[in-house]
Amino acid sequence: MARSATELDPRDVLETPPARRRIRTPMSIGLNLTSMIDVVFLLLVYFMVATDFRKAEEVYTLDLPERAEGMSVDPFELDDEPLLVLVRTSGSGGDSYRLGLDGPWDPVQDFQSLYEFLRSRQVDGMGGGLFGTDHPIVIIPDATVHWEYTIDAFNAAVRAGYVNVTLKEISS
Amino acid sequence: MSTIFQRGPARPQANITSMIDVVFLLIVFFVLVSQIVDLESVDMELPEPEHPATALPEEEPRAVLNVLPGDDGECDGYRLAGRDYPVTSDGLGDLRAALVVLYQDIPGLRVNLRADRATDYRWVSPVLQVVRQAAGLSGTGLASARLNLVVQGGDR
Repeated sequence: MARSATELDPRDVLETPPARRRIRTPMSIGLNLTSMIDVVFLLLVYFMVATDFRKAEEVYTLDLPERAEGMSVDPFELDDEPLLVLVRTSGSGGDSYRLGLDGPWDPVQDFQSLYEFLRSRQVDGMGGGLFGTDHPIVIIPDATVHWEYTIDAFNAAVRAGYVNVTLKEISS
Repeated sequence: MSTIFQRGPARPQANITSMIDVVFLLIVFFVLVSQIVDLESVDMELPEPEHPATALPEEEPRAVLNVLPGDDGECDGYRLAGRDYPVTSDGLGDLRAALVVLYQDIPGLRVNLRADRATDYRWVSPVLQVVRQAAGLSGTGLASARLNLVVQGGDR
């Protein structure tokens, strides 16, 4: 039987192209991050290698009172006589030190014995001492004494509980 | 044809967004830390006393004054806020003037003094003098200059 031009064969309808178009996945738009990650990791490695990690720094507080000319001084207020701790150079090159105490005290050999002496001189230090914690301690280093030994002497006084510790400046 | 095959084969992908976040944070951290260390800390061996009775530095405005170490306990100058001052009376005068300006700008300023353990005391003593004089000259009514002597911290 002859069919007219407008009539469709049912098999043609089943194999139409729109059905194939539905099978395709939608086009995904993505950023290629590979090279960026490469660069970022290189930067990270560089900074990790180049950064110098150090131990945290800690401090001693030192008050430097202004000794202006003509400062009014209360004549009835007697200052405590400061305890003078002398730090001297021993040997050549300032590689070793010698400690001294100004006054009728037994000599001290090292910073540990300086600490023990200062501790025992305190009122509650069980050594029969009469110094309060605010008793002035003046560290007098030699010109060629290493800064390390100056700090060690300072540390001994602070560690013993004294709060009024100063360094004597070298008069110019 | 099944539904699975219609959508195509599964393509597993790692979600790298959070990794990129963390890596960028690390980079920013290292960049900032490197700059701070380079600006303020001159490379030197700080004193490291036994049984230190030190304190951690407080969160106060501070200026870092470095005594630049030389050979055999000598000193190559002083460095404050990235500028070097020679060990001469003129250099110390300039250092004093710079400190006076800092004290006037920031009342209650702390000066952190960093010196090498092998530097002779004769090079540190002028700094104490200069800081004390600068605090007095600043006209801010400071009764005393507060100085922080910086040492190497121990293990806490």
